[in-house]
Amino acid sequence: MQAEKISITVTVNGERRTIETFPHHTLLEFLRDQLGLTGTKECCSQGECGSCTVLMNGRSVDSCLVLAVEADAGEIVTIEGTGSPGKLSALQAAFAETGAVQCGFCIPGMIMSAGYLLQRNPHPTVEEIKEGLDGNLCRCAGYSLIIQAVKKAAEAGE
Amino acid sequence: MRSWRRSKRNWRERRGSEEKAAVRLFRYARPDSIGEAAALLDQYGPEAKILAGGTDLLVRIRTGHTRPQMVIDLKRVATLATGITEIDSRLRFSALTTMTDVLEDKRVKRHFPALADAAHVVGSVQIRNRATLTGNICNASPAADTVPALLVSGAIVNMAGMDIPRSVPLSEFFTGPGKTILNRGELVESIDLPLPAQRTAAAFGRVTRRWGVDLATINLCCAVEASGKVRFAYGSAAPRPVLVEDSSGLLVDPGAHPDEKDALLRQLISHTSPRTDVRGSRDYRDAMLLVTSRRALRSAIDRLKDEAT
Amino acid sequence: MAASQVGSSLKRVGGVERVTGTQQYAADIRLDNVLHVKLVHLDCARAKIMAIDKSAASRVAGVRFIMTAADLPQPMPRCGPAYSDRPVLAVGETKYFGEPVAAVAAETKDAAEEAAALVCVEYEELPAVLTIEAALDPASPLVQDPAIRPNDPLAGSNILKAWAFDRGEAGNMSADCVIENDYTFPMVTHFAIEPHVFLAAPDPNGVIIWTPIQHPYVLQRVVASALEWPVSKVRIIAPDPGGGFGGKGWPKFEPLVAFLALKTGRPVRLVLTLEETFQAVRRASAHIHIKTGFALDGRIAFQDIAADFLIGAYADVGPRVVSKGSYAACGPYRTPQARIRARALLSHTTPSTAFRGFGTPQASWAVESQLNEAAEKLGIDRAEIRRRNLPAKGEAFIPNDTPADGDWVQALNSATEAIGWEKPLGKNRGRGVSLGLKSSSTASASFAIVRLHFDGSASVLSATSDMGQGARTVFTQIAAGELGIDPGRITIVMGDTAVVPFDSSTSASRSTVFMGNAIMKACADIRMQLQKMAAQVFVLAQDAITVGGGLVRTAEKTWTYAEFLGIYFGPPRGEVIGVGSARSEYLRDHPLGGKPVFWEMMCVAAEVEVDPETGMTHVHKLVLVSDIGKALNPRQVEAQDEGAAMMGLGHTLMEHLILDEHGRILNLGALDYRIPTIQDIPLDLYSILIENADGPGPFGAKGAGEGGTLALSAAVGAAVNEAAGVKIRDLPLTPERIWRAVEERRKRVVTSNQISMKEG
Repeated sequence: MQAEKISITVTVNGERRTIETFPHHTLLEFLRDQLGLTGTKECCSQGECGSCTVLMNGRSVDSCLVLAVEADAGEIVTIEGTGSPGKLSALQAAFAETGAVQCGFCIPGMIMSAGYLLQRNPHPTVEEIKEGLDGNLCRCAGYSLIIQAVKKAAEAGE
Repeated sequence: MRSWRRSKRNWRERRGSEEKAAVRLFRYARPDSIGEAAALLDQYGPEAKILAGGTDLLVRIRTGHTRPQMVIDLKRVATLATGITEIDSRLRFSALTTMTDVLEDKRVKRHFPALADAAHVVGSVQIRNRATLTGNICNASPAADTVPALLVSGAIVNMAGMDIPRSVPLSEFFTGPGKTILNRGELVESIDLPLPAQRTAAAFGRVTRRWGVDLATINLCCAVEASGKVRFAYGSAAPRPVLVEDSSGLLVDPGAHPDEKDALLRQLISHTSPRTDVRGSRDYRDAMLLVTSRRALRSAIDRLKDEAT
Repeated sequence: MAASQVGSSLKRVGGVERVTGTQQYAADIRLDNVLHVKLVHLDCARAKIMAIDKSAASRVAGVRFIMTAADLPQPMPRCGPAYSDRPVLAVGETKYFGEPVAAVAAETKDAAEEAAALVCVEYEELPAVLTIEAALDPASPLVQDPAIRPNDPLAGSNILKAWAFDRGEAGNMSADCVIENDYTFPMVTHFAIEPHVFLAAPDPNGVIIWTPIQHPYVLQRVVASALEWPVSKVRIIAPDPGGGFGGKGWPKFEPLVAFLALKTGRPVRLVLTLEETFQAVRRASAHIHIKTGFALDGRIAFQDIAADFLIGAYADVGPRVVSKGSYAACGPYRTPQARIRARALLSHTTPSTAFRGFGTPQASWAVESQLNEAAEKLGIDRAEIRRRNLPAKGEAFIPNDTPADGDWVQALNSATEAIGWEKPLGKNRGRGVSLGLKSSSTASASFAIVRLHFDGSASVLSATSDMGQGARTVFTQIAAGELGIDPGRITIVMGDTAVVPFDSSTSASRSTVFMGNAIMKACADIRMQLQKMAAQVFVLAQDAITVGGGLVRTAEKTWTYAEFLGIYFGPPRGEVIGVGSARSEYLRDHPLGGKPVFWEMMCVAAEVEVDPETGMTHVHKLVLVSDIGKALNPRQVEAQDEGAAMMGLGHTLMEHLILDEHGRILNLGALDYRIPTIQDIPLDLYSILIENADGPGPFGAKGAGEGGTLALSAAVGAAVNEAAGVKIRDLPLTPERIWRAVEERRKRVVTSNQISMKEG
């Protein structure tokens, strides 16, 4: 079988584009390799680690488990669409300040998940934070600093 | 896991072949009606796979467990996206209903809290935002977390496709690990849960290896009716989920001796056949079925009492 | 010398990049004209390679080259940090599950993947050595061809190396109370969230390799030797790793991508899947048979330790792990008599490599558990028995070596106080306390260059790898303090051997001490040069000039660095380059090649609750006490300690690689290899830093970063054993293992009751 491309129109970080992509490529590959948005990371490619978390049509998803073509007519938000070095979101600032960031590889996914949590639950308890971030693995931190960062951002009124 | 029964000496293996080529290529279709989807299913047969949430399918494609030639994305079929509706004293879950939809629905929380609890432990938030209830049953893993709760609540599977639509109780839907009774050209349209006729409460329980996201070592659901009838459904304990029922009333009798209850629970569990795998050994699973049964029974009885007050 | 920045928790340098996704990791690097590489490996550990047929694979559109052993120099280049045993590609035989037999280079990832699946390998599976028992069995096959270890008396066995450490009186070891047991430690893998990545490109000067390697200079040497080139032709660029923990320390597939780049004449890029990463790196598992003698008051009389470590098919840095871990196996205790025998055993498994803790987690699991058992037998409190055996600061506890360099009793007392050691325990609960000691860097060297630019800003050139421990931040703090420059005007340059000077490694918790000291000296060098320059240009005696706090001062005037440099250099401008180094002496006769510059010591106390019916463990409270000398950045130290503790919880409660009889890893990948998630953290976690400024590093600092992995399992394990009423000596303490021990104890009680009833 020859690989045939399909044209999709997708809004990524507010920008609408029409691009051809292969049906067998995941949204993660599409974002990183075709759009050059390397902020979203690849680790387990099985939906276990959460380092590839993005928002798709308003919901947090593991982009390694979404086909690029499924994003057609959809809206994707990645870490690049969430604040920038000159203007950090409250969540990004909180992560940077609390020491929650060590090697940083899990952080984009962690911030996307935390942002989704705070959007739906602006004042989560520690239990709710743990449940909301259960799908994001971190091997460096003790997680407790991450929880502190989310609480801090919640207090700042994200 | 493949079984290795071959002599060790002088065995030549070949690794790499044409059939393993084109590792991930497939055609992709996005029908907008059940008829169109069914026609594609019929045309491609076992070479086609349905894509709803994708949380099982994409993993299987990546590992090479499945190599579909055609992936049929159902998410444009409007009739499958009607969500959770109440129809004729049943709660109907359309095929594209996600786990997040299930666990957040007020009616599910009210009438089927055990199902909400089960949906809650399926993966992480990211997984639940995509994984569908229907996909969970169609994947037919013996470890599926939502299946025991659906079984004890008498779930009915509504199928449609090339033939006339038909419905079967969920207990008849599975034919083996990863296998269902769906015919070629057929798909699941929705799952119905009859609203309980009499007061019923159910509780879900499972054992895992860590507190975080995990697949179940064993999972089960216990439903208790005001009449004293008790049902158990066990997962991850046999090639197909097992549903058993006891109408003796012994399990809900506060005067009954714990040893008597245990004996009865053991008898019910004897319908399972747990195995040993990376997640747990057979005897641990067996023991956990009993421990979890006791706890789920206790929770279900308490829930029933709470509902009465 | 201003220490204003040191000791404060300066925000992590590089934090903004990481929270915005702009930090560039190796997999984010885009090279023009790159070829994508996919490895070909077999579905078993050990196999004889009969034939490789590339024809079908070559026909895939976009495939440019398929490398096998036949395409490499003959004889096959072998390399490694200590032993040159690892071939660039498997030749003749694969030695572990995942060892590549071929590598495909293609224009796209898809083409490489497809072609890799089509490479046809005819092979014959052979019996594999997968356990310590098998490795020691004389009837087992040899993992390594004796021919690659000429002049080695052990070459006819699977014992790669053996060590003997004897201390105190020779001969009879006796005591009032002797405890003898066997302990095991599992095979675990690093599971950094960033899988391994290797890029290489030919370059007019030779070859460039991009890889998130912790020790760029080791890699440079190893690749140069594989290519038979001078090191000056090999340039290593090391982006910050997404987690290292030792797994990205030592060369793996860099020589392979170097050969591929040179062969194809193009840049090449190899990104391992997580599964392939598990197949590439792990910790050595161990079986420790230990006999400890105690006096009736709990003082240790002797330790008789036989430790077997199962390393992999190639040495990597495995032997060093065994020697270091075993040398300090007796822990931070007075041990009048010790007999330690340790062996590194080869096996047909993933080559074990450095992993945070470096041999100490395995040893301390055994030694600390022995102390607990003795305490129980002798009726002594488990914290008290440790107190009685801890040396005072300055006391020698290993003959002819660095004495105790901290107040370790203070650490123990801090831990017991914080955990509430004396408080009554609830049902199904247990507590434990343990101390873990690791020898830091022994013989090593760090060089640093600091450049004071004409505008008063500065660059620090250092080959330390910042993999999350915050080296950049700490070095910024040091340089800011030493030069009196605002941290925002300091740039830390790392990771490029063409730019930064030599550093032995980022390991052994050594960088704050060694590189920190080197940077301090480089800054001191700059200050001295400024003094000389000022004396020259103002025609004054040198001691009439003071340099400090960002200023050059005479009795009459004060200039900022920028102003002074403007005066000194004039319009053509210039800069001041400071050089500093820190070395510790290589001692040929010392078993570890040198005395540890400091001891890394952490005391852990834990309180857990175990559900006896399911074996599930709740860690209620975890206390980590780190004897750190001086915390240059307290927040970073705490973060490292907690991270190390979570890793320790991983190997204590849930992590283990499960192999089948073919040597295949059954729980390969994130689905079935369980590491702690956010739901698995202790309910309460306390991090306490003891700062007595008694370390050799800047401002009395010692190193940190490994503490939580050292003795956590002994503390948590003791707590679990107490809570469940069992004595498990094998890790991990999975729910099933605990359940089984509880069941067995229950059956024993029932049986003995039955017996006593019968007799009664």
